[in-house]
Amino acid sequence: MVFNSYTFIVFFIIILILHNLPFSWKTKKVNLLLASYIFYAAWNPPFILLLWLSTVVDFFVGRALYTQNNIHKKRLLLVISLIGNLGMLCFFKYGGFLLDNFVTIVNAVGWKFHPAKPNIILPAGISFYTFTTLCYTIDMYEKKSKPVKSMLDFSLFVTFFPHLVAGPIVRPPQLVPQFESPRKATQQQLLEGFFLISLGLFMKVLLADSMLSATANDIFGSTNKLPALDAWMGVLAFSGQIFFDFAGYSTCAIGVAACLGFVLPQNFLYPYAAIGFSDFWRRWHITLSAWLRDYLYIPMGGNRKGKLRTYINLMVTMLLGGLWHGANWTFVVWGGLHGFYLWVEKAIADIRKDKVRPIATTPSGEVGVLGPLPETFKPKTFRNFSIALFTFFLINVTWVFFRASTFTKAWDLLQSMFGFVSKAEPLLTNLAIIKVIVIVSCMVIAHWLMRNTRVLEVIPKLSWWFFGTVWAVMLILLIWSQESSSSFIYFQF
Amino acid sequence: MPATPLAKSAFLMAVLVIAALLGWESFLRSKGYQLGYNDDEALWYKNRQEVYQPSETTTVFIGSSRIKFDLDIPTWEKTTGEKAVQLAVAGSDPKLTLDNLANDDKFKGKLVIDITEGLFFRPQDDAAITKRLKYLKEATPSQKFSAQVGFGLESQLLFLDKDMFSLGALLDQLKIPNRSGVNNTPIFPTKFTYTNFRRQEIMTNEFVHDTAMQNKVKGIWTIYGALEKRHGITGDTLQKIFTEVKTDIARIKARGGKVIFTRTPSSGGYRELELKNYPRAEYFDQLLYVSGCNGIYFTDYPELKDFICPECSHLTPPDAVKYTTALIKILDQNKWFTPHAN
Repeated sequence: MVFNSYTFIVFFIIILILHNLPFSWKTKKVNLLLASYIFYAAWNPPFILLLWLSTVVDFFVGRALYTQNNIHKKRLLLVISLIGNLGMLCFFKYGGFLLDNFVTIVNAVGWKFHPAKPNIILPAGISFYTFTTLCYTIDMYEKKSKPVKSMLDFSLFVTFFPHLVAGPIVRPPQLVPQFESPRKATQQQLLEGFFLISLGLFMKVLLADSMLSATANDIFGSTNKLPALDAWMGVLAFSGQIFFDFAGYSTCAIGVAACLGFVLPQNFLYPYAAIGFSDFWRRWHITLSAWLRDYLYIPMGGNRKGKLRTYINLMVTMLLGGLWHGANWTFVVWGGLHGFYLWVEKAIADIRKDKVRPIATTPSGEVGVLGPLPETFKPKTFRNFSIALFTFFLINVTWVFFRASTFTKAWDLLQSMFGFVSKAEPLLTNLAIIKVIVIVSCMVIAHWLMRNTRVLEVIPKLSWWFFGTVWAVMLILLIWSQESSSSFIYFQF
Repeated sequence: MPATPLAKSAFLMAVLVIAALLGWESFLRSKGYQLGYNDDEALWYKNRQEVYQPSETTTVFIGSSRIKFDLDIPTWEKTTGEKAVQLAVAGSDPKLTLDNLANDDKFKGKLVIDITEGLFFRPQDDAAITKRLKYLKEATPSQKFSAQVGFGLESQLLFLDKDMFSLGALLDQLKIPNRSGVNNTPIFPTKFTYTNFRRQEIMTNEFVHDTAMQNKVKGIWTIYGALEKRHGITGDTLQKIFTEVKTDIARIKARGGKVIFTRTPSSGGYRELELKNYPRAEYFDQLLYVSGCNGIYFTDYPELKDFICPECSHLTPPDAVKYTTALIKILDQNKWFTPHAN
């Protein structure tokens, strides 16, 4: 089920009513759990079995990991959990990719092997709930937190429908304690939740789907030589589309949870106002970058094993982060480019001897691969804005690899963007170009103005009638756009 | 009254949204627009599910826009007592739909294939049909439920007509000049037609009486290349189409189904060019010969040959009634309504 559908509206109204009826807290949790299964099954019912399997295995393995003192048995349990979780992920998400690469390699060495194409359907959200359950078992192995006492609470932690299919990726300490005592949204929370849902849908339905997606699709789907203007407009359109699509989903998820009285972590903090790439990863898909930092980068040694290892760890983290997004080498290159940018940034910081604190001592709550933002980047100066624009420019180059289906297409587009194409044929209408320029400019400016704050902190500073009018305009445009039910881009990851 | 500033904002928002939507709906109704449905994959899917009605009492129609305008479903159902299922898609080639029905073992019914030569005799798969077949195969329970809610809302609210009144559609109507070599997608007049729940396309009364709008649509046919002198495909490409169609039809007939081809009326310059680009003997008649089916070509019948299409390609609602009545008689002569007579 997607948030931008009539089904969800009906579903959510029923859930809200049930959640506010005078049932016991346990009954309400059972309701939420059943609702979460319905939410998932409304996409493809059989795949709910995978969710159950993952939940049951990790609940019992997690508990055993916490209580087991024999290190060998403990490691064995961890391996079972990793094989269970990553095995499912590998089969469904990377099965075809691994087979393709294997076939390419064996054919290259002269062994003619042409197996049938596997017809594997990717279960929605498998990357997200796998990471959610993985962090639980790893935390249990390291005794970072206590095991969840009840199967009901653990199932709800894994399956809670607002975050289930596309995050934010939650950690047990962020969500499980919220299930332990009765929760009901206050009027303030409920209204803030409704506003966040409106904002998220506005971003997804109007800006991503109605205004930008067609332009991005036209350019990335074109087989013609394109002029620089068209190529840049297509890439900028995708840059806006992917942000509004994914941040829109996260905003809806946080809003839906708020309406039920729960708090989910932030996933986006105005990433296109990032000053440099470590700042970008503090602001883009925050819960994933924090997950990669805590469960990949730090366990590999982080920056505690010398400069060379830091650079290697950084690159490995970004390459695997790229691969997490999709089973294609283009995603790996996307991650690699980000890793390269982070290398350059770190090298500059090392030369300048910037005092960036080691990652291992990062205070709780601060996220990002390279630790907290240096003080020099905090003020909104013209210099910092210029760096932010340059960062945005480089990010757009990486999106080419993220969106292009092949390296050939990515290369063609890069050539077009930088004017290395002759006899190009214009493709986009002026209306499409105007839409991209207006929306992307407003997006970048809004990100810059909001970079040190959050939307819910700004609302109380506005007059009630002004905010009410803005909210109304947003909803009217959302309804007027009539782009319902298209899937979110990150569902495929 | 709400107490907190946020509650006041929410109250104001609700009032403004309701006022704006009511105002927009009232404005559109005052302009004389008709309530219609979005002719998308969900509506097509809903009608596609109807093909499994008892085969003796159901006829499925596939083709392009002409049969959607020209078949008046109420007339068909009232006159024959049988159900009509409209699966034609405007601007599309129905061969993929034919293939889908041929490969569906549960479909054993009667099928009318309407031919618009410029669309039917082209080699590439049709994107609009591909999208609908994808939905048919992959639609989730959530999408199906959303569609049902959507139908209910579209039956009451005129502004939900996406192709005409969505923000994107209205922006597309802005006449912004383009660079050389770039063309806007042609925009049909908003009062050209509307689609009902059975997917019948109905020309509006205003359009029937407005020659300026009719000329605008004729201009759009020109933009689409329909009025260009260009001979249709030939050789192996054409033979491949004949072979595939023959195979599909044989499968349907083998299950006890019946298939017939129709050629609905066109007129004016459009008609003349169609005859030149797609000579009947090479295309329509050859299709009948290869497939072993009967065909109803409008010029062969006195009761069908004199229809005038206002924009050269589709019939007005009164003419659709006449056409349907005449078509039923001709089909009856072809023993269409007689069980197992094909």
